[in-house]
Amino acid sequence: MAMAAAGPAPAAPAAAAVEAAFSSFEPERGAVADPILRLSQLSKRFGQFQAVKEIDLAIEEGEFFTIVGPSGSGKTTLIRMLAGLEEPSDGEIALRGQRLNETPANRRPTCMVFQSLALFPHRTVGQNIEFPLKMRGIPANERMNRALELMRQLRLPEDYYKKQVNQCSGGERQRIALARALAFDPEILFFDEPLSAIDFRLRKTLEKELKDIHRETGKTFIYITHSLEEAMVMSDRIGIMRAGELVQVGAPDEIYSRPANRFVSEFMGEVNVLEVKRNGGGLHCPALGTDLAAPDINGFDSGFLVIRPEYLRFLAPGEEAENRVEGVLYNEYALGSRIQYQVRVGEQVFLVEKLREQRYGGQLDDKVAIGWDARDSVLAPE
Amino acid sequence: MTERQKKRVTHGLIITWTGALLVFLYLPILCVVLASFSKARYFRFPIPRYDSGWYEKAFESLTVRDLVSTSLSIALLVALVSVVLAFFGALAFARFDWRGRRIYQRLVLLPIFFPQAVLGLALLIWFSTVGIIPDWRTAVIAHLVWIVPIVTLVISIQAYSFDPALEEAAFDLGATRWQTLKEVTLPVLWPGVVSGALFAFLLSWGNFPLSLFTTGADQTVPEWLYAKMVSGYTPLVPTLGALTTASAAVVLLVGYLSWVFMRRAQGR
Repeated sequence: MAMAAAGPAPAAPAAAAVEAAFSSFEPERGAVADPILRLSQLSKRFGQFQAVKEIDLAIEEGEFFTIVGPSGSGKTTLIRMLAGLEEPSDGEIALRGQRLNETPANRRPTCMVFQSLALFPHRTVGQNIEFPLKMRGIPANERMNRALELMRQLRLPEDYYKKQVNQCSGGERQRIALARALAFDPEILFFDEPLSAIDFRLRKTLEKELKDIHRETGKTFIYITHSLEEAMVMSDRIGIMRAGELVQVGAPDEIYSRPANRFVSEFMGEVNVLEVKRNGGGLHCPALGTDLAAPDINGFDSGFLVIRPEYLRFLAPGEEAENRVEGVLYNEYALGSRIQYQVRVGEQVFLVEKLREQRYGGQLDDKVAIGWDARDSVLAPE
Repeated sequence: MTERQKKRVTHGLIITWTGALLVFLYLPILCVVLASFSKARYFRFPIPRYDSGWYEKAFESLTVRDLVSTSLSIALLVALVSVVLAFFGALAFARFDWRGRRIYQRLVLLPIFFPQAVLGLALLIWFSTVGIIPDWRTAVIAHLVWIVPIVTLVISIQAYSFDPALEEAAFDLGATRWQTLKEVTLPVLWPGVVSGALFAFLLSWGNFPLSLFTTGADQTVPEWLYAKMVSGYTPLVPTLGALTTASAAVVLLVGYLSWVFMRRAQGR
């Protein structure tokens, strides 16, 4: 689909083309290319309820960007606005610098894979994949070739071309939906939690396949999920959404090791959260009644100290750690490859996770000492 | 009693019950068919002599031809108009949320429960107030008042099971509104539309009370059957009755077969 090209198209002969090719190696300073998608102050209200609140975001060409948030955080509304299925109340969506707000979904060079997949139940696999091409009036044999090509790319057997979609399995249906979206040849693909209804093992496989497809096609992917784990596997960058706002945007590593606040850290699964206050040059934890060693506390006043359960360790008698607390081993859960322990320290319950091979040898109700180092914890201001 | 005996008794009871129910439902129509094959001038049972002469007469009779053509015109027109009206009505209340949607739903469905005689009379009075002389076309309007709600109900059952994301996906994949309707909405709702059309046709074809009040000088098959029962019985009455029923069954069968055929065609 022909949209505005990224740069000025040289209508000059080869020399200009060569020059243009070289200049792309050394981009001029100050001549910042427009990002493929830019949201400015984007908002959506439903009556009194504000689903999306003044979001600013720039998505780069070829990026795999995932928006993560609990249900009701506005992530679906956001992606529906980007796809053109919902009208923004305020703000702007721009594709390569061109305002997109008023363009209806069927004229946007974007395409969405829906949560329900929305495969046409009365059509065959082939007809589903060819749908966007048919709408464009492309001849039947050309459509068929393209569909078969996409089916090969997505590892769908060729004889599925004539199969009814409702006779296909969950994983196959995912691939059909993706093939159909790719047949459209969009500049940006949106995904609205397409894997949420798939069982765990298949989901893991499909996540990796999707990442492969992203690399093969080089297209921009914007993905929505409520699972940060899923986002971590696939994304170049992640945006965490809560109550209509983006609370943190960053690379998966950054989100994991430096969560902006308690909400983000808890989103990643079970973590230990301690309420702490600054106390001179150190930190005080009222619940434990002790001072704690913490990472860089510059500019921190009060908030939470977050420690992942796998960073906590049981301390043998005489073993030291920068932070040490004593409590009672209170519960034990098998999580497959890992074991999770609950250790009660006064009113506070700590979660400790160990690999099965490193399991704690003692009994429930043992008195135990657990510890962690300052660098393994993160401060979250709110 | 052993488990096995218990099972046998239960089984026997179920069969007896089902059989009794079927006899109850189908014996009357069977009697009509038997009566139509009687050679006697008057309705008597048991039938003294069987004969198919009345069927030949039925096919030759000009009266019957007129009756059938009136009934057929009404039923076809009612089926066509009610499907169009009901299709959009069903979409409106199954797919969109708007103010007054619930009240609309109830108001639209209410005429189903009106006593048809009262409805027919009311329409007759209304027609004469407005100054319309009733004939078969006013009967079409009367039938529609009662049948559109039923067809709306039938189609909206289909529309309710429709994933709205299907239309959005089509639109998102570059289809225009018209292409979306043609390529997605209609094919998905098609079974509902077909069964709605069958309902409309058959209910109109067999309707008596509304026709009685609103056909004016024209006469439909059920009206004629009633009139002849009241005075001037001939075995043509059960003959035509049996034929009417049989044609309704044929329409149902054709509807069912076309549905099966459509399924097959899509499967290919």
